[in-house]
Amino acid sequence: MRRARPLLGTLVDIQASGTDAAPAIEAAFAVIAEVHRLMSFHEPDSDVSRINCSPAGVSLTVSAHTCAVLRFARQLSGMSRGRFDVCIGAEMVRAGLLPTPVGAVQPTLRASYLDLELLPGRQVKAVKSVWIDVGGVAKGYAVDCAIQVLRNYCLDSAVVNAGGDLRFFGVPQAVQIRDPSQPGSLYSLGMLEDCAVASSSGRYSERNIDALVDKDKHACLRWNQSISVIAPECMIADALTKVVRLCPEQAPKILEHFSAEAVCIGTEQHINQPDRRTNN
Amino acid sequence: MNQFNSQLVALSALAVSSQVFAVQYLSAEEARHAMFAEATAFKDISLNLNATQMNEVQKIAGVPARSVVWRVVAAYKGDALLGYMVLDDVIGKYELISYAVGLNPDASVRQVEILNYRESHGAEIKNAAWRRQFVNKTAQNGLRAGEDIATISGATLSCTHVTDGVRRIAAIAQVVFRKVD
Repeated sequence: MRRARPLLGTLVDIQASGTDAAPAIEAAFAVIAEVHRLMSFHEPDSDVSRINCSPAGVSLTVSAHTCAVLRFARQLSGMSRGRFDVCIGAEMVRAGLLPTPVGAVQPTLRASYLDLELLPGRQVKAVKSVWIDVGGVAKGYAVDCAIQVLRNYCLDSAVVNAGGDLRFFGVPQAVQIRDPSQPGSLYSLGMLEDCAVASSSGRYSERNIDALVDKDKHACLRWNQSISVIAPECMIADALTKVVRLCPEQAPKILEHFSAEAVCIGTEQHINQPDRRTNN
Repeated sequence: MNQFNSQLVALSALAVSSQVFAVQYLSAEEARHAMFAEATAFKDISLNLNATQMNEVQKIAGVPARSVVWRVVAAYKGDALLGYMVLDDVIGKYELISYAVGLNPDASVRQVEILNYRESHGAEIKNAAWRRQFVNKTAQNGLRAGEDIATISGATLSCTHVTDGVRRIAAIAQVVFRKVD
């Protein structure tokens, strides 16, 4: 059974086989919709908007989902020496990629992840005014949540694909990567099992800038590469596509830490072939 | 095993035989049963919006009403109205998406389901003659079904047109159905 719904700013496609496929898919879409609602930059009552609108120094209680995403993002910010950062809302708004949050105080110049404290009891406190955007990690997290829900049902296999960020379990899958410079052509990654693959690319954008912020320059980048990451979880894969682009020096170590591998399609059409095939 | 820094290997792309991918998720018939499982009858109540209604829709939705004619079925359990399902198609940058919006009797959105999805790359999507080739076609009778698109990474799709479409249909429901009831 296979269904698709518009969520997370893309079409989310869920495929499941097994006796429980129908209720499993329904429950998986429900958790994705919940993550979408909590982490939307646009929705005024999302956790993200509540953080963006809260005055500096005030603690807020956020959902367990938001807390998990922020904790992972914090870990990655530390490992990438601040190159990966969710405190990029101001740059994204300035670039016209996100709307100005309604009712939010102007963010402090050069505010970073160090200004967002994650306290016990799912409490979040912005020491300075920050605008966060979790677009670089939440889609992968939502896919992971859907997979977790699907695993609770009697299924032989399942695939969740949120606009190219995907994860699956059960039957090994033939995974392919789209070449952004020639969208009709695909690169094969071979047969993979029980893993996640995410890709980031600026090539689909007709704008001069892409939704990837260089924290040193405080501006969005022009991104002419496509990076795919294969990882045990989709949140890791999703976020590491940005880490590989933003800090190539630290990327090998970070990839290794998360048991992940990267495939880069650059202007020369070269690809770094991973070694995770099931038939090895 | 991390090979990120290993030697770059040039691979030839496995070219796809056709530039068109198509995925059939649900037929309109299946969608209405999925949305209104308890329904005992469906009635075609397709709409023709008048100029006043189209203006109202645009005011509420913030997007033009776009079309006069809308394909709608009403779902009933016995004599009780359960809701409506509106069918629509949108064209995105690279794709043609058919979808259905389930609505409650009070015009609130109950469910959105993608019925089918076809994508292409390049100029042909902007060409009306090219788009017409899809009319009355399905994956079974003319399009190559891209069964493995489920596992293609990097296929970021915009759902902006579907989101706008759902908002438009919700506005149509407010303008037309709430007044009928």
